[in-house]
Amino acid sequence: MKGLTVSQFYDSLRDKLELKLVAGEKGLKRKILISEINRPGLVLTGHVKFFANRRGQVLGKVEISYLRGLSARKRKENIHIFFQQKIPFCIIARNYIPPRELLSEADKIGIPIFRSPLVTTRLLNLCTIALEEMVAPSTSVIANLVEVYGVGVIINGQSGVGKSECTLSLVERGHRLVSDDYIHVHLMEGTYLLGEGSELTRFHMEIRGLGIIDVRTLFGVGCVRQRKRVDLAVTLEPWDMDKEYERLGLDEGYLSILGVEIPHIILPVGPGRDLALLIEVAALNHRIKQMGYHSAQALDLQIKDRISKGSP
Amino acid sequence: MPEIKKKIEIINRLGMHARPAARLVQLTSRFRSDIIFKRGSDQVNGKSIMGVLMLAAPFGSTITVIARGDDADAAITEIEALFRSKFGEE
Repeated sequence: MKGLTVSQFYDSLRDKLELKLVAGEKGLKRKILISEINRPGLVLTGHVKFFANRRGQVLGKVEISYLRGLSARKRKENIHIFFQQKIPFCIIARNYIPPRELLSEADKIGIPIFRSPLVTTRLLNLCTIALEEMVAPSTSVIANLVEVYGVGVIINGQSGVGKSECTLSLVERGHRLVSDDYIHVHLMEGTYLLGEGSELTRFHMEIRGLGIIDVRTLFGVGCVRQRKRVDLAVTLEPWDMDKEYERLGLDEGYLSILGVEIPHIILPVGPGRDLALLIEVAALNHRIKQMGYHSAQALDLQIKDRISKGSP
Repeated sequence: MPEIKKKIEIINRLGMHARPAARLVQLTSRFRSDIIFKRGSDQVNGKSIMGVLMLAAPFGSTITVIARGDDADAAITEIEALFRSKFGEE
């Protein structure tokens, strides 16, 4: 994990989680190393074995009422043991007022304590989702991202091959532009890729001869999309007469981004080839494969069947 | 295929706004090599004006230029010269 500090966590989620810093300000520079959130259980009784440390902690009704029920001496002792466990931060849910000892110990050791009006479970869920996203590995890909019939398609290829014109054609046909020439890709939940453009240049495109256009303004908000899962990659390349292009579609090529294998198609560009149409068809084909029907395989099976029945 | 990397500083006062960006990509587009600009963790296509603008590089910042191809050498030399000339501003 890149160094995510509690301070960055606080800045990003202050509004969403309605967080208020109530103690331990000097600990804001602490690093969050694990993206999980934990609800302390037995550790509050002093049982520290196997405690899920190094994770942000959320205290709710159960935890606060337990601490309040202890004698002042025991409370101070248990809180001290708890805070020895390498915790980056704590959030008190339901706006409960934490015991004085918790705040003073947090100030002493330097562990940020936040209060939030949210209900504990909701706080846990939102924190988990947010942290997952904040620490997700990411990379930048130099390509266009367009949503075609619900399929996130990366369009890449050398400069000048026609990516932007093809993308514009797709937009004109009702598909949605996510980003031109730059995609910030995040790995989500370790399994799929989410792509989006850069905030500044998001829905702008460069068309040689026209310059920079703002697709959202020209075509409308229905023709753009902020982020989209990456499902398919298409590479446009100048038609190379000596190269063997895919004729069957039985074997699938893949492109690897952040460890995820994305189905990959290479489309040769030539005069008279309607690339936007080909990409639409590729997207539809992808969809139908996802639904369980593989056209080329089905045809091949039928042919094998006919061959086995046919006369010599 | 040769790959050359060079760190170049932005010395024109207004930074990498639209006009210098346009001059830069008009230059880079002339070369056969692939050209990439890096700033921090961002990596963009050096032949795309959208990419260059996205970096929003201010005066005093440093961009790493990477050129990959037979004319990489010439590309880096000319790109560096353009930066040094402050893109004709001032």
